[in-house]
Amino acid sequence: MKISIKKDQLVAYVIVALGGVIMLAPFYFMFVFSSHSNSGILSIPPPILFGDFLVENFNTLIDFLPYFWHNISLSLFVAVVVTILNLLFCSLAGYAFAMFDFKGKNFLFVGIMATMLLPPFLGMIPTAMIMSQIGWMNDPKALIIPAACGAMGIFMMRQFIASAIPKELVEAARMDGCKEFKIYYRIIVPLITPAFGTLGLITFIGTWNNFMGPLVVMNDMKMFTVPLALRALQGTGQVPWGAVAVGAAIAVLPLIFLFMMASRRLIDGLTAGAVKG
Amino acid sequence: MASVQFSNLAKSYGDTPIVKEINLDIDHGEFIVLLGPSGCGKSTTLRMLAGLESISGGDIYIGEELVNDLHPIERNIAMVFQSYALYPHMTVEQNIGFSLENLKVEKAERIKLVTNVAEMLELTPLLDRKPKDLSGGQRQRVAMGRAMVRSPEVFLFDEPLSNLDAKLRGQMRKEIKAMHKKVQTTVIYVTHDQVEAMTLADRIVILNEGKIEQIGTPKQIFDQPKNTFVAKFIGAPAMNIFNLSNPKIQHDFGVSMGEHNPVLLGIRPQYLYLNENEVKGVEKAAFVDVEVISSELLGASRHIKCKYQDQTLVVETASHDATVKGIVRLYFNNTQIHLFDENNNTITH
Ligand SMILES: Nc1ncnc2c1ncn2[C@@H]1O[C@H](COP(=O)(O)OP(=O)(O)OP(=O)(O)O)[C@@H](O)[C@H]1O
Ligand SMILES: [Mg+2]
Repeated sequence: MKISIKKDQLVAYVIVALGGVIMLAPFYFMFVFSSHSNSGILSIPPPILFGDFLVENFNTLIDFLPYFWHNISLSLFVAVVVTILNLLFCSLAGYAFAMFDFKGKNFLFVGIMATMLLPPFLGMIPTAMIMSQIGWMNDPKALIIPAACGAMGIFMMRQFIASAIPKELVEAARMDGCKEFKIYYRIIVPLITPAFGTLGLITFIGTWNNFMGPLVVMNDMKMFTVPLALRALQGTGQVPWGAVAVGAAIAVLPLIFLFMMASRRLIDGLTAGAVKG
Repeated sequence: MASVQFSNLAKSYGDTPIVKEINLDIDHGEFIVLLGPSGCGKSTTLRMLAGLESISGGDIYIGEELVNDLHPIERNIAMVFQSYALYPHMTVEQNIGFSLENLKVEKAERIKLVTNVAEMLELTPLLDRKPKDLSGGQRQRVAMGRAMVRSPEVFLFDEPLSNLDAKLRGQMRKEIKAMHKKVQTTVIYVTHDQVEAMTLADRIVILNEGKIEQIGTPKQIFDQPKNTFVAKFIGAPAMNIFNLSNPKIQHDFGVSMGEHNPVLLGIRPQYLYLNENEVKGVEKAAFVDVEVISSELLGASRHIKCKYQDQTLVVETASHDATVKGIVRLYFNNTQIHLFDENNNTITH
């Protein structure tokens, strides 16, 4: 059988492929540079194939950042916990806003949404002051607790629950003798997994890449998250670019892994909503 | 099994009264249908009984117990929703068994009860399916199974058949009737379909704008409507109603304008006949002469629209009376007319 591709289809494929190459190029060079010496990286034209300097670069990285593995695990720990807490609290709040009628509901909701209007930088100094007051400097709690729930996540969950779950379903469960919290985890949670996937991904990436947050509350090198640690590398007189590339390459691995895991489910989730049973 | 009593039940949203002063006593095992036009407060009444909606006034009793402030769980009521509201992520078996799980019924007992109900509703081969893989009628049966499985005191149905096609509706109606015969539980059933109401109900409650217009058996509602609203709402085509200010109409129908001072007169299209010998129960049939405007065939019957003293009138006859044209004479039994006073209430004679 002959597969025929129409001309305009071909054009579309070429454009998409080109876009893909442009977006993937920085990643490719990051991996390539991680295997070259500083002079190799800075030569013109730059190298486009893998070299043999990877181990030296890695050793340099560990020399400059003796706590690198600790930094990675701290980052992972914070990102995982923040993601789980966000999924829990945002879905609970979103459920309440979508399904319950209570006094002051609209006022409360507008108030929460209004917090999105404030630029995050505005909160930096107050956060640092509060954390130092309560003795949470250099403590992972300082990164986890303030980020445990966000207006964006609540909004997303509310919209999803309101559109995907008919009120009658909750009422039917209530008539079936289901207690309120059980309705949440037996009826609501299984039906909002697509939203969990999306919010989880967004939150994990945001937390993993967060630079400003840790900057103001973490000043002990051991308690640096990965972005802070890599940044510290560049603060030294002669920047070891190869080591920076190795660190960055290691730092993106969890995200790449996550995307490969999630993309299938995300697509499934998006289409599952479209053909409702 | 339990009786249900509404006493001065009321509900308003903000300042808008939706349900006003409903008083109703429902016996053990009775099949009650709430019938009324869209937006008259049927669902609201049902939901207040279920405990899904707070009440603004009055009392609700189930059995001897005042349930105003009880949680739905504590009222031991089951409800079948118009949209079925099946849990999409659970199998048919889990859907039916969910209430038992919540009641902490032991697993073996649970399986036995679910199996029984599935058997009764012919759902056994479908127990492992998810709701999205079922047809409309099957979903409807699962919704009923979910309500039946824990033997509630009262069954509530909110327009359970309105999402089905006409044929399936007829079949499900029979199944609901059969189910009621078998379990003998009190049923309160909301619909705006007269045929459903007529065929299912022990008693019908006609609601309009949040008030009860009439309570009675299907026969009482049809033959002795209390007012023009019920008279016009029940029966299709609607009852012909004439203004009695015209002396010719008074004379034709033999109405004496005595003490009751009737203002309106009604007669059902089914009780007007083209042939004198079809009129039953009287020696000599009364008649009126009318002019045929149009005629419409509906399978076994025919609706003939006529002009009578500047008012229109509809007659339902057998479909073969096709040739009627021009001026015709309609015969009727004088005892089958309804008279209404100036408040639209029926004058009993
Ligand atoms: N939450 C609410 N807030 C304000 N008004 C409401 C609310 N719910 C229902 N109503 C109003 O109450 C009235 C009665 O509604 P209800 O659902 O009881 O009607 P119904 O008799 O069941 O009609 P239908 O046959 O269309 O289902 C309607 O006019 C509706 O607009
Ligand atoms: Mg309704």
